[in-house]
Amino acid sequence: MTMKVHKVSSQSQHEQRHATKRHGKNKWRKKTHSLDSTLLNTSTGTAKLEKPIPKREKTTLKRLKKLYTKPIPENCCAEQRKVKAHVHTNGGTELNGSSSLVDSQEWSEYANSVLRNGMESSTSPKTDQMEEDGLQFHAQFDKTRNNAVLVMKQGQVLCFRGKCLLTCLYGHVEVLGFTIEEGQQPYPLFSPPSHCPLTITALGNNPPSSKNKKEGLLEAKAVVHKYFSSEPSKKLMSELDSDSCVVLLEPLNTPLTRVLTSFSELSEIFGLNSKELKSQAAVYNPVLSAVGVTALRGPCAQGLVMSRSYREAISRLLSAWAGEFDRCPIILVCGGKSSGKSTFNRHLINSLLNHTAGVEYLECDLGQTEFTPPGCLSLSTVTEPLLGPPFTHLRDPEHMVYYGQADCQADIDRYLESLKSLWRHVNGESPVIINTMGWIRGHGFQILVDLIRLFSVTHVVQLSYGNAPQCQHLTPDFLRTAHGWQTHPLTPPTLTEEPVSHLSTRSHVLLSVQSEFEGAGTSGVMQHQRSNELRDLALLSYFSKLQSPEPGPVLPLHCFTPYQVPLSAVAIGVTHCEVAPTNILYVANASVVGLCCLSEKVVGREGPVVLSQTPICQCVGLGVLRGVDMARGLYFLVSPVSPSVLRHVNCLLLGEITLPKILLTKQDGIEGDLPYVTTDYSFEVQGAGKLHIYKGLTRPGFIKSNN
Amino acid sequence: MKKKTVGKTRHVVAWMNKAEYEHVQEYLFSKEPALQKHALQRISAWKARFGQSTPVAVDSTADLVRCQVLDSAGQLETNDLVMLYGMALVRFVNLITERQQKSVARPLRRLAGKINIPEWVVNLRHDLTHRRLPSLKWCRKGCGFVLDWLHQQYWSRQMGSQLTEDWNSSSEEEDEEEFAKRHEEELLRRQKEIEAHKKVRELLISYEREQFQTYEELAKQGGQRGVWPDASADLSWILTQITLFTTEARDILVDVLMQDGFLIPTAEQLESLDIDPSEDSVDMFAPCLPRVFLHFWLPCLKALNTPIFINLILDKLFAELSNEPSRHRTYYITSWISEILLCNSKSELKAHKRLKLSKERIFMNRIQFPWQNLISTCVNAPCPATPFLLRQILSDMDKPLPHDAQQNLLRLCSIYTQGYHEYSSPGASDPAQPVYTLQNLQDRLKSNTSQNRDSHSSNHAPRPMQAPPTEDLQEKLSAETTQERNFALRGSAWSVCTDKVPWKQYPLGKVPGQPEDPSCLMVECYSTFTVFDQQVELDQLPQHHGNRSVPLQSRASGADGPLWTHSDLSKLKAGLQLF
Repeated sequence: MTMKVHKVSSQSQHEQRHATKRHGKNKWRKKTHSLDSTLLNTSTGTAKLEKPIPKREKTTLKRLKKLYTKPIPENCCAEQRKVKAHVHTNGGTELNGSSSLVDSQEWSEYANSVLRNGMESSTSPKTDQMEEDGLQFHAQFDKTRNNAVLVMKQGQVLCFRGKCLLTCLYGHVEVLGFTIEEGQQPYPLFSPPSHCPLTITALGNNPPSSKNKKEGLLEAKAVVHKYFSSEPSKKLMSELDSDSCVVLLEPLNTPLTRVLTSFSELSEIFGLNSKELKSQAAVYNPVLSAVGVTALRGPCAQGLVMSRSYREAISRLLSAWAGEFDRCPIILVCGGKSSGKSTFNRHLINSLLNHTAGVEYLECDLGQTEFTPPGCLSLSTVTEPLLGPPFTHLRDPEHMVYYGQADCQADIDRYLESLKSLWRHVNGESPVIINTMGWIRGHGFQILVDLIRLFSVTHVVQLSYGNAPQCQHLTPDFLRTAHGWQTHPLTPPTLTEEPVSHLSTRSHVLLSVQSEFEGAGTSGVMQHQRSNELRDLALLSYFSKLQSPEPGPVLPLHCFTPYQVPLSAVAIGVTHCEVAPTNILYVANASVVGLCCLSEKVVGREGPVVLSQTPICQCVGLGVLRGVDMARGLYFLVSPVSPSVLRHVNCLLLGEITLPKILLTKQDGIEGDLPYVTTDYSFEVQGAGKLHIYKGLTRPGFIKSNN
Repeated sequence: MKKKTVGKTRHVVAWMNKAEYEHVQEYLFSKEPALQKHALQRISAWKARFGQSTPVAVDSTADLVRCQVLDSAGQLETNDLVMLYGMALVRFVNLITERQQKSVARPLRRLAGKINIPEWVVNLRHDLTHRRLPSLKWCRKGCGFVLDWLHQQYWSRQMGSQLTEDWNSSSEEEDEEEFAKRHEEELLRRQKEIEAHKKVRELLISYEREQFQTYEELAKQGGQRGVWPDASADLSWILTQITLFTTEARDILVDVLMQDGFLIPTAEQLESLDIDPSEDSVDMFAPCLPRVFLHFWLPCLKALNTPIFINLILDKLFAELSNEPSRHRTYYITSWISEILLCNSKSELKAHKRLKLSKERIFMNRIQFPWQNLISTCVNAPCPATPFLLRQILSDMDKPLPHDAQQNLLRLCSIYTQGYHEYSSPGASDPAQPVYTLQNLQDRLKSNTSQNRDSHSSNHAPRPMQAPPTEDLQEKLSAETTQERNFALRGSAWSVCTDKVPWKQYPLGKVPGQPEDPSCLMVECYSTFTVFDQQVELDQLPQHHGNRSVPLQSRASGADGPLWTHSDLSKLKAGLQLF
């Protein structure tokens, strides 16, 4: 593979881009819309492609070092910081033309370094001695400020479980592809046992340092001193040298962590998983545990396992953004279940965020959503790095459609139409990442073909594991003849010789990535790894936004003062099955509802307004319909959606996304029976269980023939 | 893996309460098409709630009852009906036997036989899928039989109904996932505990090592009476590590401290501290900790000094004492109790004593002990030193008992313990006796000290120091917040509910004034809404679907089949003899 990474965009071009940027955006939008109206009639059999993105308008960014050094308020609690507007340092907007040149060179170096680093670390032999050294974490806890200062040698790696707030005080460190430098805002890190543990890698000081070693050391020492109320220990100071990294770790206490740990079942959600406990992987370090971090050692401390193809793919995509490609990259990531799509996405987003202000993210996976509760399709602009699993960074997307189920098999057309409606809002100025479902066989594969065509994907990242590929490779050649669910090849494959030029503009780059981490392709079986548990966590996380940001007791869901709305003022519908309209409130009561906005005015006369079909409309969030007042004809709704947004809601969609059981079974302070909860249901009775599908049922005949 | 889930596991179901379940059951098997249809409509809502976890029996029952309803309507031809019945029957036989399948497919006949489904029903299914379609008569017969089976096997046994004889051989587990999950949680917790235990031990041992070293140096310098130096850097390091356990693993820490070799010194430990380990040299009736040994542990205990911790350790000491430990253990346990009580003593507050002893005290400020409980735990753990300890407690109480009550208590106590002391074997004492005496005493105490509320008789369970804070869980929205929210919602149909409702008393799915009637959420009147434009915001949108019906059609009840009003239903219920 050859890489042209030293391409340097000319300065004037950059300036021009900046000059046109503001106006360009609006113009561009219009263009998109008009394109849409012609292109969206794709229901017919002929191939139609969703809008091609005509020209890239890229925001160039600079990795600012000292320009930024925004002093971090010294004694400021985590909560306060969160509230403050986040200034994303890497993706700052104060740019000047002269910096662009430096910038593009710098990221190319970075792109290269992604390759280099990984290779070095994988080839260098590790002796036990080295490992022992690596596990010595020099940290000191400051009781009065309740934080810890950690000094890391260049190249040192801290692989950990737990959660904390990390601020880089000196040098720079990397977490899941994202580089954190001194002077940047604190970032929350979450490493729960459900996912691959996070690693903090010390990258040392910036290489082109103008200071000499001694100055660097003095500076580092000054930084450390500043963060201690008393004298820091000599041991810590002696560890310091000019290319050390100094990070400040603080305990992390947010409404989310309070809600999760308030359930006894989830008390270990930031602890170790059973495998790590069994292999005694925890490095005992009281300073780190005081801030909520447990370092790992041994085979469990591998962190993210990046194969060669993985690193190559990331580096290729980074270069694509840098200008090797003449279009803004639209990256589709696909692969079977548990092939590492989601982690790859996070790594890619974080790496891109080192160079750009934002990444657009189209969520096509209904089951394991990155930013929203499950069952939602969404388009988000990501400006903050993702330093934890999805349930730790739920945020409101720019646009969202409530599909209502954790997979799309029931209504593939509505699924695709919903995605198309979201695609219209892509602004095309930043790289786009499209995350797909793990369903890659049969119709699932056809959907992938559709997505690549509809969204004019420029790069397809196809993850696979093991020796045999899970599905056909989505090469440009294959796409030329493949049939999707909605789209079909441009011309029947029987016809010969198409205009080659036409095709080449449309074709994409396929990057095959071989996942080599342990357990690739097998869904997690340990606690909190099952997909339904992760969905529950996402919902718990979503509704934790109801809690007050100030530390205090966690309020159960039923204790919140609800909003009320007349039954006749909002439409209500069930997305996933047929329900007799007279019984609709039996579905709605104490259920999760998607809060949607229909453009038409909803006016009923009396009683509920029942939707005759499921609409595709903007969803602004979820709520819990905590009750219905039949006498007055009111719905009572509890939701974290802000009132200024809630006012637009005129449609409630019910889906198969159910309230986590724990929220119904644990309602503190209630005397008497809980609705929908029973201790009398017996699974001993015939037919009491749900439909059970044996996937591996072998026929007796097969066994004989095999033997 | 066959774990019975009989306990108090809470399951989430689709019916609001048992009444709703019984209501649907009654209607399903009423053989009255109108009522059956009503039940089917409710089940459609249940299936929406259950999603993919709808019980197989509920699903099958609904399918079969639907066939009967359509059959009785008399609008379908025979062939149509065979198809309908056929599908419902095939699905029933397949789904109900699915759970019995193991990794290798087994004949349905055998599986069905196990759960009392006769062979002819299985054959009927076979005919439907592979052979000539059976006649409608057979289909009706099959449906009737299967519904009876479901009624008996599922509906009337479920929800705590008569689960009498148990002739079904194998049970359906609630969910293997659930079970595995719980198992894993348990395993995880235990592993974590073991881990913490190990860590605490290591820490305490390194503490001891450090202290022994200090002691040796001290002894070298000038005898053991010298002043112990302030904690060294290493020692304070260890101490901070230990204190980290006081929040997460307090119980484990106390457990380890109670083991031999920590707060209870071993003979070797005593020797290395130049303390005579022989038992003759000590006074079992008035235990007193050797000063050197106290100094040895003082830095650690000072670091751990919080009221919660002190109370916990006191509790634990008494608990250990009641296990009738060896003489050596008894002595040190009582010594520690006495030491802690001494630190808290009122008289100790006198200035000169404090000056003299401040270095030797584990804690400086008086802690509130649960005095009544302390007395009962103390008396519940009788040992030679009990009168000694009891005296200490009695003299330190905030609201002392009347003098004669104190005297009586002490007298009884010394009578008992002396007797106890005389018996050579401690095990021979009747455990019932102290309790008996104590209860007498407690009655007496109660009558004397009316201001004290009930004293728990549960002796050793560690109890919280204060009653749990009676936090009000109800969300309190300030008037401003409510106003702000309502302002933001102004002009829309939404508003913040401003009724004075104690929401914390209403679980999800319940509102004030909601009747228990299972029909309370039935809608008598509704409108249908068809979406014209599927998109919001964007106006120049292409229309995907051509046919659009009129957006609003208000329907009166009854237009969509027989719909029963509340009053209709109650009349029906009262008038009908269903079985």
